[in-house]
Amino acid sequence: MAKTVARIDRLMRPLHRWVWRDHDRRLRKLLAFADVETDGGRDIVRAAEVTPDPLLRRLYLEHAIDELHHGDLFRSRGAALIRERGTRTTSLFAGNPLPGGHGLDDLSIEGQPDYRLLAFLHVAEKSAAGRFEIYRQLVDDDPETRAIFETILRDEVFHMNYTYTQLTRVAPKTYRRHVWYARARRLWNRYLRVAVAIANLFGTAILTIIYFVVLPPFAWLARRAERRELPGWRPIARGGSPRSQY
Amino acid sequence: MNILGISAHYHDSAAALVVDGLPVCAVQEERLSRHKNDAAFPAQAIEWCLDCAGIAPEALDAVVFYERSMLKFERILTTALRTFPRSWRSFPHAIRNTLGEKVWVRGIISSHLDVPRRKIFFTDHHAAHAAAAFFTAPTRRAAILTADGVGEWATLTAGRGERRDTDRPELTLLREVRFPHSLGLLYSTFTAYLGFTVNEDEYKVMGLAAYGRPTMIEQVGKVMRPTADGAFALDPQYFDVQTSARRSYSAKFVELFGPARNPYDPIDLESDEGRRFADCAASVQRVLEDTLVRIAAQLRRDADLPDLCLGGGVALNGVANARLLAECGFERVFVPPAPGDAGCALGAALYADRIYFGNRDRPIPDHPFWGPSIDGDALSRAATDDGLGVEIVDGGALVERVAGELAAGRIVGWMEGACEFGPRALGHRSILAAPHSSAIRDRLNRDIKRREEFRPFAPVVPIEAADRYFDLPRGGVRLARFMSGVFPVRPEWRSALAAVTHVDGSARVQVLEREMAPRLHALLDAYGRRSGIPVLLNTSFNVAGEPIVARALEGYSTFRRCGIDLLAAESVLVTKPAAAPVRAPKEEVAWSSGNVAASGAV
Repeated sequence: MAKTVARIDRLMRPLHRWVWRDHDRRLRKLLAFADVETDGGRDIVRAAEVTPDPLLRRLYLEHAIDELHHGDLFRSRGAALIRERGTRTTSLFAGNPLPGGHGLDDLSIEGQPDYRLLAFLHVAEKSAAGRFEIYRQLVDDDPETRAIFETILRDEVFHMNYTYTQLTRVAPKTYRRHVWYARARRLWNRYLRVAVAIANLFGTAILTIIYFVVLPPFAWLARRAERRELPGWRPIARGGSPRSQY
Repeated sequence: MNILGISAHYHDSAAALVVDGLPVCAVQEERLSRHKNDAAFPAQAIEWCLDCAGIAPEALDAVVFYERSMLKFERILTTALRTFPRSWRSFPHAIRNTLGEKVWVRGIISSHLDVPRRKIFFTDHHAAHAAAAFFTAPTRRAAILTADGVGEWATLTAGRGERRDTDRPELTLLREVRFPHSLGLLYSTFTAYLGFTVNEDEYKVMGLAAYGRPTMIEQVGKVMRPTADGAFALDPQYFDVQTSARRSYSAKFVELFGPARNPYDPIDLESDEGRRFADCAASVQRVLEDTLVRIAAQLRRDADLPDLCLGGGVALNGVANARLLAECGFERVFVPPAPGDAGCALGAALYADRIYFGNRDRPIPDHPFWGPSIDGDALSRAATDDGLGVEIVDGGALVERVAGELAAGRIVGWMEGACEFGPRALGHRSILAAPHSSAIRDRLNRDIKRREEFRPFAPVVPIEAADRYFDLPRGGVRLARFMSGVFPVRPEWRSALAAVTHVDGSARVQVLEREMAPRLHALLDAYGRRSGIPVLLNTSFNVAGEPIVARALEGYSTFRRCGIDLLAAESVLVTKPAAAPVRAPKEEVAWSSGNVAASGAV
């Protein structure tokens, strides 16, 4: 299994170690995984509902059940860690989820040919397996969490293999191209995520500056107007124009 | 006239098509996208509605959006200004969220449907709620009350509606309570505090309330007080909703009620902490009920009308609805099958038809079945491919067969005709089971619905037998038509109906008329002949976190993944073998790790 660990994940091992070393970060990560696996499972259920291929329908269902089960495993382990943590819950959910929980991205199922989905799933599962292998090694001090990763890794092998086998069946001449395309798309999605995060950061900074520079006089006026408003019933003025958004 | 109504962008988006004054179809986006509470622009729902009616977008006379988005933006901006500088964290989020898509709704509609902008109309949010409640109700004159979290500015409105034989109908909203004073917001804040999901799990608070005692009414009274004119006001000190994008209750709220519940911890009703949460739920539930009763009683006196039409998300609170019926002097209370924001799609279209265009009112069929139908053939093919038992059985025989299976303790997935519009499964997309023992309730919770133990299941009963098992007040049958009221199970039947009787002896019963769902009615009759009690447990056909199934294959995939024993869809019956091996395919596929290496992904 160690062979499936991608170079990027090997390079990021110090970051992963930092994440998994801390109790709160660990449990936030587990809860983020729970959501990702559950969402991914639901996407694959949808794939099972729309595929015209009976064998793929059964395999997708099998896969979806696994993913939903993984979600449950992560969720119950996270809940157990919360209980161990006791009542210090104030800042637990205040931060953003830690990196590395994007699962199936925003996978669009409807109208997609099976080969595209299979290639995407194969690449995603393979990447997840590599990462989970690292995580498994990093939680040596936590046998319950380690056991979850071991269970999941066994399933991931099946998921990697059936997606690849079925891809070669449904697209025997072009399957390599689809795998590369899926890999490129994942890379593009990663770029988009980073770009959106940076844009959000800039957007937040600019809006915060506007908030403190431009808004104060308007805020004073708004508060003055508010003081004149009494709570309770108000008569409703006859409706606005049917074509107006105001 | 062809009028398309749309609700979108906050929660539960939907589309509805009204042709010549009558609904033709309506569906929530979540039923088609398969993402629960999908708030995205309802492109799939619109497409399905137009396909279903065979209407091209250019044949639409009007497209009506269910609220005035710029007015909503004004409220968001004003709120940020009023709470300056505490709103500095939430301001960028709120502005990005609103300016990103929501205020450009006219352009979005125009580009999606390629309709000219002059055909795009807007209604007030609460006018759409009111229209959904009044125009779908079989009443000539009624008082109207709408209550939800917030629309543009209004959170609660009161008014009246009247149908006329010779002229267009009238719908007038007379007065309103404005943000931030909101019953919906109050309830949602407690929903978050109790560790549930806002805009989704409010009904869990109602279910939990039955286990507690309203010991914290005094504290809730600090958070919300009545005003001298009969309305109410929230104390903003207890809320962070205006200043934080993350949390709706403030530190002061936590000081008052104690630490919030961790969403990942199960509620242990035997523990002090669990009882505190139940008491908290019971207290806010009682305050909500008392406030609604006070407001509705005042409306009854002012309007002097015998009927009440109730709309908005708060109208999903069946316990409060039953008290409104019992205590406010109304003869009938009408709650539409989709009183929340999804129903506004239909409400907006009806409002435009009757009020903007002045068309004469037409009585609307009194049922909730406006969604996609099922294809029994697709189900039959899929189940045959998978080697499951498939039988094609005609109507009467199928009903008898299913009744026999239910009497034998089996759990049945039941699909029929068009799916329901709104959050309740009312007999076309239901999971049915015998209502007698708590063991079946536990099995449903454990193997199928996977939900909290404290949540009750609902019964369905034919109208002819309803009074025998349930203590329905005058007007109760009407309120129970779409499962909108919670009523006592008669004490002598509580042990025989253990799976559907809540801890306080109540049930959110559906009273079924034969005309609304003839086959389910026949099934209840057949089951009654076998068991002596024509009542079934009726819960929505879905599993936790997923929308109710719409099409046959969605029912089938749900059936395969959980502990439902039998699937009945139109004339198709699908059964699982004794130990259904969903996992069988693993052995069918030749695979080896060599395949993975061949993909060259490492």
